[in-house]
Amino acid sequence: MGGADLIGKSVTRPDALDKVTGGRGYPVNVNLPGMLHGKLLRSPYAHARVRRIDTSEAQRLPGVKAILTARDVPQIPFCPVYFVPSDGETLIRDMLILGDHVRFAGQPVAAVAAISEAIAEAALALIDVDYEELPAVFDPEQAMADGAPQLHDGVARNIAKNPSFEFGDVEAGFAEADHIFEGVYQTQRVHTCYMEPRVCVIDCDRDGHFTVHSSMQHIFGLREKLAYALGIDESRVTVMKPPYIGGGFGGKLDMGYIEPLAALLSQKTRRPVRIEQTRYEDFICTTRNPIKMWLKTGVKADGTITARQAKSILDSGAHATHGAQVIMVHGLFGMTFPYRCPNKKWEGFTVYTNNIIGGGYRGYGAPQGCFAVESQIDEICEKLGLDPIEFRIRNALRKGDPHPFNPAWTLNSYGYEEALRRGAERIGWATRKPAGSSSGVRKRGIGVGTQGIWVSGCMGFPDIYEHTGAIVKLNRDGTADVATGTVDIGSGAITALSQIAAAELGIGVDKVRLVSASTDTVPFDAPTHASRVTYSSGLAIKAAAAEAKKRVFEIAAGLLEANPDDLEMIDAQVRVKGSPQSSLALTEVIRVAETPFIKDTLAGPRPSSPPQYKGTIMGSSSLAPPENPSPAAAMFAEVEVDTETGQVKVLRCVYAHDLGRLINPNGAEGQVEGGIQQGLGYALMENLVFDQDNGACLSADFLDYKMPTAVEMPRVIESIFVETNEPSGPFGAKSLSEQCVTVPAAAIAAAVYNAIGVRITELPITPERVLRALGKL
Amino acid sequence: MKKTLVLTVNGERHELQVSADATLLRVLRDELGLYGTKRGCDTSACGCCTVHVDGNSVYACAVYALSVDGSAVTTIEGLGNGDRLDPLQDAFIRAGAVQCGYCTCGMIMSARELLAGTPKPDEEQIRHAIAGNLCRCTGYTKIVDAIKMAAGS
Amino acid sequence: MALPELKEFCRPQSAAELSSVFETYADGALFVAGGTFVHGLEARGLLSGVQALVDLRRMGLDTVSADDRGWRVGATVNFTRLGKMPGIDAPAFGALRDALACPPPQIRNMATIGGSIAASVPFFDVPAALLALDAVVITGTGVASRELPLAGVYTGLFTNSLAPGEYISSVFVPRPAARTASAYLKLETNANDLALIGVAVRVTMDASRRISDPRVVLGGGLNATHIRSAAAEAVLKGATASEELFQRAAEAIGTEIKPMSDHRCSAEYRAAMGKVYVRRALQRAIDRLV
Ligand SMILES: Cc1cc2nc3c(=O)[nH]c(=O)nc-3n(C[C@H](O)[C@H](O)[C@H](O)COP(=O)(O)OP(=O)(O)OC[C@H]3O[C@@H](n4cnc5c(N)ncnc54)[C@H](O)[C@@H]3O)c2cc1C
Ligand code: FES
Ligand code: FES
Repeated sequence: MGGADLIGKSVTRPDALDKVTGGRGYPVNVNLPGMLHGKLLRSPYAHARVRRIDTSEAQRLPGVKAILTARDVPQIPFCPVYFVPSDGETLIRDMLILGDHVRFAGQPVAAVAAISEAIAEAALALIDVDYEELPAVFDPEQAMADGAPQLHDGVARNIAKNPSFEFGDVEAGFAEADHIFEGVYQTQRVHTCYMEPRVCVIDCDRDGHFTVHSSMQHIFGLREKLAYALGIDESRVTVMKPPYIGGGFGGKLDMGYIEPLAALLSQKTRRPVRIEQTRYEDFICTTRNPIKMWLKTGVKADGTITARQAKSILDSGAHATHGAQVIMVHGLFGMTFPYRCPNKKWEGFTVYTNNIIGGGYRGYGAPQGCFAVESQIDEICEKLGLDPIEFRIRNALRKGDPHPFNPAWTLNSYGYEEALRRGAERIGWATRKPAGSSSGVRKRGIGVGTQGIWVSGCMGFPDIYEHTGAIVKLNRDGTADVATGTVDIGSGAITALSQIAAAELGIGVDKVRLVSASTDTVPFDAPTHASRVTYSSGLAIKAAAAEAKKRVFEIAAGLLEANPDDLEMIDAQVRVKGSPQSSLALTEVIRVAETPFIKDTLAGPRPSSPPQYKGTIMGSSSLAPPENPSPAAAMFAEVEVDTETGQVKVLRCVYAHDLGRLINPNGAEGQVEGGIQQGLGYALMENLVFDQDNGACLSADFLDYKMPTAVEMPRVIESIFVETNEPSGPFGAKSLSEQCVTVPAAAIAAAVYNAIGVRITELPITPERVLRALGKL
Repeated sequence: MKKTLVLTVNGERHELQVSADATLLRVLRDELGLYGTKRGCDTSACGCCTVHVDGNSVYACAVYALSVDGSAVTTIEGLGNGDRLDPLQDAFIRAGAVQCGYCTCGMIMSARELLAGTPKPDEEQIRHAIAGNLCRCTGYTKIVDAIKMAAGS
Repeated sequence: MALPELKEFCRPQSAAELSSVFETYADGALFVAGGTFVHGLEARGLLSGVQALVDLRRMGLDTVSADDRGWRVGATVNFTRLGKMPGIDAPAFGALRDALACPPPQIRNMATIGGSIAASVPFFDVPAALLALDAVVITGTGVASRELPLAGVYTGLFTNSLAPGEYISSVFVPRPAARTASAYLKLETNANDLALIGVAVRVTMDASRRISDPRVVLGGGLNATHIRSAAAEAVLKGATASEELFQRAAEAIGTEIKPMSDHRCSAEYRAAMGKVYVRRALQRAIDRLV
């Protein structure tokens, strides 16, 4: 097989064999000669000022090579978020590598490099820090109140960002409504729980050039942020792309404390420095921000939405980091875009507290909004006796509508209704019983949650990078090397990208190799995030492959005495369209291009082929995608609720998704199933909880932070892929990854309501909350 | 401070000097360079470090190396036979049970123990057998499929 | 690391060797059996003063024997082996089977019966089952040995009545009466969790469904230690098994529990669940007899 018929076929991951036999390619395995080990000393206080740090005793411990405190590091305020330029207007630069103002329990105040981890850790215990404890605030609403402790200079009421949108006239819209619904919804702080800890190994050479190995999702972002925080030129940093990393899900989308500290420790010691976070350290960074949402919707008796007004308060923790971006995506894609409604108003607050910092978890503000919006729709339908499927379809956007994000774009492919209808049929929606009507202790229910508008990248977002590039190079053996900065975080990106390259080139997918790369060798690439890889990186790889193919045709046309435009490449054969007998093996074309062109003949040395055929056949690209087409998702859940204990068991999920075109079915199903694990955890159990007195995280290991094991997962997860063939996408593809995480909580919450007739508006839906809602506590 | 530890790892005898608090995980990764055994939490709750000690799966991060002195340890590198993969490794590839792959080696070690004692497990037995192994990518569906596939073949 | 003071890893093979370690290190010595709990303590930085780890696994405490009085299980017998103990399929051992099935295989293969008792954690499952089975703990030191009912071991959360250097050498499980069944039920968030609630019960029931010699053991945060509910047992004793009786027994625990509130759930919820679980566990045990 080779060519466009590769699209839609399940192919084996190129890295699977390596991973089942040990998997050497993870950044945790990087081990350089002479490497030192770094550890960070973290503050036990949530809000404090460091008066003095005495490192003298630690310094004397044999094996300790360097110690850094605030005095020793550049004091350049930075924002660690990768996908926004370091000096971008929307970024809030409020972090320091090390400073004397501690704003969350666990913030580093010093770093040590030593010849072993054990010694580095022992050294931490010898550092004496004199803290002045300050009053702390952990609740964002309290933080906004007068008299609350101020976390950052010049930030009134701790409000880091306060965006708002208004479309139409909400007052008029509410006046038009027959019914008005109001609700308050609260979500919790959760962690992405990538399995490979965040780790880096950084080597500063004698010239002051830094070579960085890291488990991050974006090599160019890390180069940029690291250079910015250190106050050096980007060209002094080379970030190596790891063969693969052990998960990310957005949790590795920003520079941590470890990278700049490892860099500085390496600079000081002239040796490579490795810092690996412990699981506790992972848990206290890059979490999904909790958001509290107030939502008011006006509807006519027939179910038409006339107005929606909403307010969201996002607990950003000690620093803004992603909080300043998440709030925007949340406001637009979570609260405002879904459903056509001419009159909408939303206001958001990103608020500083002394909680741990947030991050860029899969869905990026949408899961919180989806839970609120979809829960309220379920309530509206229940109260008005409307069918939740028909209600949604009535108010949904349709193919041909302008894209709500950018009216210059049209929803050229849009399968929301089809996803919803096919999912409803598969789950047996017609057999759904009235809420709370099933008898017995264990009650069953079915619910739905949808997300109508989402992204295939970040095109159109203010300040967010989206251009991306690739280099495709053909080898003499007929294989293609594809180099991109796209980091494979496990989602199968490299599989789909290999398929796209192979399909465009007309060769087998086994002939494509995604090769090693670094920021030195490939064009800039926006991160592996925002459901963007298949669409956006796919387009870049397709373009680079097309350029290489064009060169193949130029040479082959001469050899075949044909017009390049009349050629096609199928199964690694260049053929004249319509006359397949006139063909040439791709390897032959490459041979002609690559071999020296002088040949010994009887008449003496003679050129074998014209010089203009010579040179490696390659193509490159660096481009921004033209649009940001919207996928659409609908999830159906069937649950069983134990009304004596409050436990919720998810029995079955049906997930339907418009992804434009299915590239790799097995990989797509894997995304859905994994997404549902995260969504189910969000819905029912995951929660980072903190001591309300001192801000210490109480659930910073997997014994206390509960995520679903194989036992809690539904036995049946059915994926339905709706193919609407997006005209702007590579082979018609859009995106998949994030919506599978966004919709489950809403679907499960609605199913719980359908089972017991009581609505839970706060996540996670713990047994205790269910029992309380049932009035049994 | 250091003590002598004798371990037979994947059939090969090793004599090492280790510190009193060294875990089996540290010895395997840091001393023997067996990177297939992963550290996901170091607090015995994720399963990435699952290996077999005398045929039984354990969390290598929660075992003091010296307490298993003299034992036979099998890691992912010890599965299969030369170039021939263990049927589980093969099934994990074919079923698409590998995404980021960080959990994979531990998962396969747990599944191997299950199949050794229960060659034809049902779905519930499979799910309980891997309950001590977390995966954040796959939702476990294809992992369960792979184990069924390996058991069926 | 988290054992900054550690100097020794001892592997005594006799009681005499063991006591000499304690003579050297006194309070600085800590027993290790399977190590699963010790590692948890280490990871949380709770073992900073430990100077010597004393591995019990070479003390020859890993045998299981039976006579007509009951079973004697060596302290270092692990959960997997315990689950294969001859006779464990009997309804009377249902609670033990239930409890042993709770932890993941990686823990079952290492965790020992002695360690699970000595850890003195009310959230563990196996001790609850053993309490319902009237287990007796046999301890040793270098010089002496004593027997004490398991119920007498616990003095509080993480604390027990074992003297420094005193170790559990075996656990005796008496042979249960005929027509006896037991069950253990656990409320957990995922399959790799410590109990939010854990209830073990044992009943002996004659042909007319009259209950004798009942046991109701409450764990998982219903109290600082596993406790037997005398009130619930009093309700059950001599009464005829019925759903209504189980409900009354469940209600009776109310006066005896002091449930904890923590980040996992509130005391109120624990109290309510304790009742549900007592009733359900009793039903589960009875179901094993019919
Ligand atoms: C991930 C995980 C999941 C778990 N799940 C469950 C579960 O589902 N159900 C459950 O019941 N438990 C569970 N546990 C707890 C587990 O059962 C205990 O950790 C185990 O029983 C302790 O036994 P051990 O042999 O490993 O003890 P160790 O860790 O070696 O020791 C425990 C304590 O007892 C002392 N000690 C050990 N042996 C003796 C002895 N013979 N005499 C005196 N003192 C001694 C030690 O000094 C230490 O203080 C889980 C633990 C983990 C880490
Ligand atoms: S690393 Fe051992 S269980 Fe997680
Ligand atoms: S495949 Fe990534 S954690 Fe399992």
